[in-house]
Amino acid sequence: MDARLIRNFSIIAHIDHGKSTLADQLLLKSGTITEREFRSQILDDLDIERDRGITVKARSVTIDYVYQGETYELNLIDTPGHVDFHYEVSRSLAACEGALLLIDAFQGVQAQTVANAYAAIEADLEIVPVVNKIDLAVTRIDEVLDEVETVLGLDGTDALRVSAKAGMNIESVFEAIIERLPPPAGVAKNPFKALVFDSKYDKYRGVVTYVRVVDGSVCKGDNIRFMREGVSSEVIELGQFRPGLVPCDELRPGQVGYILTGVKELNRITIGDTVTMARAPAAEPLPGYQKPKQMVFCGMYPLDATGFESLRDELQKLSLNDSSFSFQPETSDALGFGFRCGFLGMLHMEIVQQRLEREQDMDLIQTAPNVTYEIVNRRGDVMVIDNPQDVPDAGEIQEFKEPIARVTFIVPADNVGTIMQLSQDRRGIYKNTEFLGPQRAQVIYELPLSEIVYDMYDKLKSVTRGYGTMDYEIIGFEAADLVKMDVLVKGERVDALSTIVHRTTSDRRGRALVKRLKTEINKHQFEIAIQAAIGAKIIARETISAFRKNVTAKCYGGDISRKRKLLEKQKAGKKRMKQFGAVEIPQKAFLSVLEANRDE
Amino acid sequence: MKPSDVDVYAPPENSHVSPRALYVHVPFCRHRCGYCDFTLVADKDDLVPAYLKALENEVNRLDGEYEVDTIFIGGGTPTHLSTKQMERLAEILLSRFQLTAGGEFSVEANPDGLSDDIMKTLSGIGVNRISLGVQSFDPEVLKTLERQHTPVEAQAVIERSVDIFAQVSLDLIFGVPGQTFDSWIATLEAARQFPVRHISTYGLTFEKGTDFYRRLQQGRIQVAPDDLERDMYAAAMSQLARAGVPQYEISNFAAVGAECRHNTVYWQANEYFAFGPGAARYVNGVRSTNARNVSRWIHCWLNGKSALQEVEQLSDEEKRREAVFLGLRLVEGIDVSVFRDRFSSDVVEIANASAQQHLQTGLLEIADNHLRLTLDGRFLADTVMADFL
Repeated sequence: MDARLIRNFSIIAHIDHGKSTLADQLLLKSGTITEREFRSQILDDLDIERDRGITVKARSVTIDYVYQGETYELNLIDTPGHVDFHYEVSRSLAACEGALLLIDAFQGVQAQTVANAYAAIEADLEIVPVVNKIDLAVTRIDEVLDEVETVLGLDGTDALRVSAKAGMNIESVFEAIIERLPPPAGVAKNPFKALVFDSKYDKYRGVVTYVRVVDGSVCKGDNIRFMREGVSSEVIELGQFRPGLVPCDELRPGQVGYILTGVKELNRITIGDTVTMARAPAAEPLPGYQKPKQMVFCGMYPLDATGFESLRDELQKLSLNDSSFSFQPETSDALGFGFRCGFLGMLHMEIVQQRLEREQDMDLIQTAPNVTYEIVNRRGDVMVIDNPQDVPDAGEIQEFKEPIARVTFIVPADNVGTIMQLSQDRRGIYKNTEFLGPQRAQVIYELPLSEIVYDMYDKLKSVTRGYGTMDYEIIGFEAADLVKMDVLVKGERVDALSTIVHRTTSDRRGRALVKRLKTEINKHQFEIAIQAAIGAKIIARETISAFRKNVTAKCYGGDISRKRKLLEKQKAGKKRMKQFGAVEIPQKAFLSVLEANRDE
Repeated sequence: MKPSDVDVYAPPENSHVSPRALYVHVPFCRHRCGYCDFTLVADKDDLVPAYLKALENEVNRLDGEYEVDTIFIGGGTPTHLSTKQMERLAEILLSRFQLTAGGEFSVEANPDGLSDDIMKTLSGIGVNRISLGVQSFDPEVLKTLERQHTPVEAQAVIERSVDIFAQVSLDLIFGVPGQTFDSWIATLEAARQFPVRHISTYGLTFEKGTDFYRRLQQGRIQVAPDDLERDMYAAAMSQLARAGVPQYEISNFAAVGAECRHNTVYWQANEYFAFGPGAARYVNGVRSTNARNVSRWIHCWLNGKSALQEVEQLSDEEKRREAVFLGLRLVEGIDVSVFRDRFSSDVVEIANASAQQHLQTGLLEIADNHLRLTLDGRFLADTVMADFL
């Protein structure tokens, strides 16, 4: 394949701006798939992604397109579309030369449009702005193009105007990809070098490695080497995504495809790694590789101690498909043996948990998430804390540091005041406001990450009635007056309910938490005290009275099956609880810390 | 089990448990009350003729003629039908089912719009027991429940019913948002003034899909406090017992000999026929429920096709467990000898294995050759029963 005829590109967009629809249109219009195959093949292959309309895993597809008598090979490398997946986005972009920046003709530039556009600029990509949904009844295309210029500094005059849904002007997209994006600039005679931009585990084939060839070429039978991990292996099969895995003989500079090596161990291929030849290796690996940084952690415990090993297996499988997820064993007095899992953010955490429960049918106890902290102790050592249980005694701590994020909000101009109040209440430091036009503004704050992960996104959506968007990046750690808050249930400390809070908000948080726990823990046949404490000092208390009635009179006529099912459900509900002494604490209660903050 | 796997209309095999009871569901009401999740359509009287035709088809799907000890026409509001329609309904049923001499024939009715004519019609077709949805004698509570009648109207209807039917039963609801303990006591008092020998009391539940449930989710109404509900239930037990109408089942109270024979069939885990949308039957060891969507049920049966929501073939183990949780609803409990004869297993052993802690903490007891809930146990019946499943 002549590199001149190859184009590697991504589509980047804010959520719901039509990225998947445009991708589908490109596949349909180019004949890569037929109408009939369309439904079954192109939907995101994970239920959770389908449910949420969010692409979590990068996908890739090779499209053949005939333009002015020549057949071009267009490789679409899809990017994850959520704020949590910055690193995955950057990895996918590093495999491209250009990007289509898709913007909704009515909603205009949103927080993730900005974040993704900056990521593409940083990756030095050629960017083609594409205004989508031009067939909407109400559009504001001119204003949107102004935003593209003022906010992103991109030239809006050559922007494409399309409707992916209606299939309007899709040819102009192909034309722009071919005419405006540069072909890859690899050197065929250099040693083979390719970027691993994704991987997935396949039960039958082992690890499927997604690569973008930079220099040289690779064939079946070659002995290759993953430079960062130091793993060598023979290429058993290689091929392209059309859109299923279709084998070919060789991948040449600029091409995108997959490699099967027979590596079955889940953790031996890391994403962002560089592949080269074992014998004639490239001198340097590709730049930009970083270990993904987990900023949000939570404990995951099998409900039943016998589930520990199978939970480990499942976490291992997940971590292959998702290099940004980490886990290590830990123990809790309350919950027994489990794992401390690290995530990029809250959504990432929810997705992993749901995938475990849905795909593996595992019953899990999940503790409330916390961000990662740094503590400098009296001896001057720096400890990284990703579990509140590891916080040393107050006397040991010299400095308690938390991660700070720079948050970009894009909100209707009317909501600027509310957003500022919201950020101020969460210990934010105001940085800057910029009006994107008469209607909308960009507000920048520095906020403790802990304050963001809990509820910022929900709060933003509710105060702006869904019109506000946000994005953030971690800028560093700063010292703060933080304390560990414990929870005692019937006099017993439940370590899995401990949290790290700011001292000034601890009373309020403590009260909200015990109040919330009161609603989560069912009545028992005896009274239960729930207390929040800092050190030995009790700061809040609630009491759950003994339960006195649990009988539903109604028997639904003769519908015994229904009554039985209700009772079975009640019984099954008990299954999702963990026994602490005589008290049963439901799974959901361990997330109360989160909910309590939302209630405030 | 898929509905298509079994013919729920196959004639009952001849055995000592074959059905001796018939339930028919009439899904019409003038208004759907905010708490109600029963199978019904409100203000859709134009569907009645189609319903009757569909019912005829469903009844005729069963081959043969059967003698039954009890018939129960429930709803909805069966008395919402016109006299002509009610006669037609009776004709359909009685063409295939014959009530034994001395059998019980119940109909549910609402005080709202219950005319003398319809009562005469009921009496004429052989109805000898009427169950009145009085719910409360407190106008405020009736309003909250969105009932369409006043306490005065209810009184008049009860008085007329007592003259016409051998058995009259009143339904009362407690634990209604805003209902006070005193209001409940007054309702119980008022009920005792009538010569009725059967009363059912229901603690209000918030069922998914109801308006009440939605309002509860939105925080617009509150569930009655646990303690208040317990006190109300306890008051019903003591007050009604004093009035000569003692409790005989979780939600039912009757003078000796006035217990509802039809409902007792359910609690004793015996079999019964059922017809109409949402109706649940138990025949040949198979529990099945008709489609709860009224128009779907009608549409199917107008075309001669069955409309089932679910079908469950019970294993012997399931039958046994079900008999325990149902039998515990009865105050007298489960007769150990009868249980042994029927299931060839010892109910005391089952209790020791599944619900030991309840025997220890005194929610369950074994006395007079019966396994039963204690008085304390009745307040926590669901907790206890769930452990037998």
